[in-house]
Amino acid sequence: MIKHFLNFEWKQFVRSSYFQKGIAIKILLILAVLYFGGIALMLGVGLFFILKKTLPETDPIIIVNNFLIYWFIFDLALRFFMQQLPVMNVKPLMIVPIKRNTIINYLLGKTALSFFNFLPLFVFVPFSIVLLIKGYPVLNVVCWFFAMLFLVLSNNFINFLINKSNTYFYVLISIFAIFIGLEFFNIYKVSAPIGVAFNTLYNNPILSIIPLILMIGLYAFNFNFIKKEFYLDDAVSKKIKEVNATDLSWMNRFGSVAVFLKNDVKLIYRNARPRQVMMMSFLFLFYGLIFYTQETYQNMPAFLAFASIFVTGGFLLTFGQLVPSWDSEYYKLLMSQNIPYKKYLESKWYLMVFGVSLSFILATPYIYFGWKIYGMIAAGALFNIGLNSFITLIGGALNRVPIELNVKAKAFSNTNGFNPTQMLIALPKMVLPMLLFYVPYKFISFEAGLIVLGLSGVLGIVFKGFFLNKIEKIYQKGKYKTLAAYNEK
Amino acid sequence: MIQVTELSKKYGGNTVLNIESLEIPKGQAFGLVGNNGAGKTTFFNLLLDLIKPTTGTILNNKIQVNTSEDWKPFTAAFIDESFLIGYLTAEEYFYFIGELRGMNKADIDAFLAQFSEIFNDEIIGKKKYLRDLSKGNQKKAGIVAALIGNPEVIILDEPFANLDPTTQIRLKKLLSELTKDSNATVLISSHDLGHVTDVCERIVVLDKGDVVKDLKTSEETLKELETYFSV
Repeated sequence: MIKHFLNFEWKQFVRSSYFQKGIAIKILLILAVLYFGGIALMLGVGLFFILKKTLPETDPIIIVNNFLIYWFIFDLALRFFMQQLPVMNVKPLMIVPIKRNTIINYLLGKTALSFFNFLPLFVFVPFSIVLLIKGYPVLNVVCWFFAMLFLVLSNNFINFLINKSNTYFYVLISIFAIFIGLEFFNIYKVSAPIGVAFNTLYNNPILSIIPLILMIGLYAFNFNFIKKEFYLDDAVSKKIKEVNATDLSWMNRFGSVAVFLKNDVKLIYRNARPRQVMMMSFLFLFYGLIFYTQETYQNMPAFLAFASIFVTGGFLLTFGQLVPSWDSEYYKLLMSQNIPYKKYLESKWYLMVFGVSLSFILATPYIYFGWKIYGMIAAGALFNIGLNSFITLIGGALNRVPIELNVKAKAFSNTNGFNPTQMLIALPKMVLPMLLFYVPYKFISFEAGLIVLGLSGVLGIVFKGFFLNKIEKIYQKGKYKTLAAYNEK
Repeated sequence: MIQVTELSKKYGGNTVLNIESLEIPKGQAFGLVGNNGAGKTTFFNLLLDLIKPTTGTILNNKIQVNTSEDWKPFTAAFIDESFLIGYLTAEEYFYFIGELRGMNKADIDAFLAQFSEIFNDEIIGKKKYLRDLSKGNQKKAGIVAALIGNPEVIILDEPFANLDPTTQIRLKKLLSELTKDSNATVLISSHDLGHVTDVCERIVVLDKGDVVKDLKTSEETLKELETYFSV
């Protein structure tokens, strides 16, 4: 039976239009995988020696244990955005004679084979080998290593759960929020007892059983969660909600694009997936806190410019990068209705401008960090409106992943619109502003950097018509391909 | 109204549609029949420029559909559920289409009033999103939306499928009136030979992408079609 499943998966993979992307993108993807793998490997080998050198009086394993919690949180965050969860169309399998448990076990087992579970091995394996060579007790190191492995897999299953159920997602986010709050305001260092726990685990190999139990427990939990949803009239069915109609006629002042804007607003608050993305984009507002508070970055204004793009660009980067995909469910309608392509793109542009402007208003408290920082955020916002918006729209033309808007209704479908291709498309959005700022900053002054960054955005706004015409051509050219890709679900 | 020349569509080496020449005059009720894979939906998709023709051209009111977008204002279609916006209510959807076609809410409300029989109190004012309606009701909403704004060309792919018997009969009446009163060109495809002969004044039979019959509807047409398909 597993043989059939594997066969289906392979076919789905190689036959999807997503896979038939350009060769250049495929090569870039492979390079990215090699790059991250290489970095992890170097980190794994070098970690012991780096720690020994910088903090000679503490045992490296203790330092590592103290920081493990951050690693796992980072790992989870990375997974949440990047890891593609397996998609199995369950409905046709429900009535064929395969044991339900087999299907679920397979579904869960497959997630364990993800690249994200192998990545930590690149760090933990060499690190453990170095420990053994350095004469650390074999039993302790080996058990510790397996404990890490179990925890990595636990993360894998937690990720599965928070991706499939918004309830668990919000629960986890709240727990993290509380921890970060306690930690940030120095009320209670939650990370300290966790560090102690990891050290205790290392010193008492028998305790490695706890992560093992945790992993098995999470597996069982996932198993039951899916099993419960395995009914057409239960979670697989749609929950019919009453409509809350809102009067959006005030938006008519936006002229000819108003009709689309009204639709997009409804799209965002009536569908599970866009709502989630909206929440994500809100978190971007706090990105600046990481960079502006650190001494190290004060002398690296290019990084501050980078952070400033993020502060106001959350909506643009998260929602915007999936722009035509949001309409994938009814793209045929849009393409055959009385809609000029340019108007459609223009409305999306306005939506992004609106998102950036709103973020900029919400970012006002950053004045606290001084006018230099605030000036950067303002210049970044201009850049986001004037140039990043267009880059995003161009990126959208390359992105042909259909999105199922109302994810909750279909718990077994792929809910992750995020994928590495999109991250690659996103690269110029982040590198370009850094360059625009850094070059004049280096050769003239800080202010010149700000002015160039801001002006580039203003230029974009001035030449809006020109850009939209060009982008329209790109979309027009890819229209049939896009339609075909959206057609396959 | 619609002129098709040397039109073909190939996937790989496989020809799915091949029409030498076809002309549909203004105001005609045009029916397309054929077994699965005959190329009906392909033809409609080409008409709407949703797929790219391998060769040939389609002129819609003298506008070549794959080089200009100017045919869109007077053309409307309902092919399948992907023409509906699932997260809107039926009213909101009608208003949206109406706005695209330059009609305000009052116009739309007046327009919708004539369909109250077809809607049977299950579509308007129900506080339900389109995605939560049954297949049949979704179809009703889609067909009515395609009639908004007096389009000159109306394309409906299998409008009778999934509809309840009462609505099928009402829809037939509606479509016949449409071609008589407003001079609209109506293109429908159907697997129901009875319905299509009732509604259409001309019927074209497709088989594996080729036009095999082009009939002017008369008393004998239904018989002829039944004989053709019973082989």
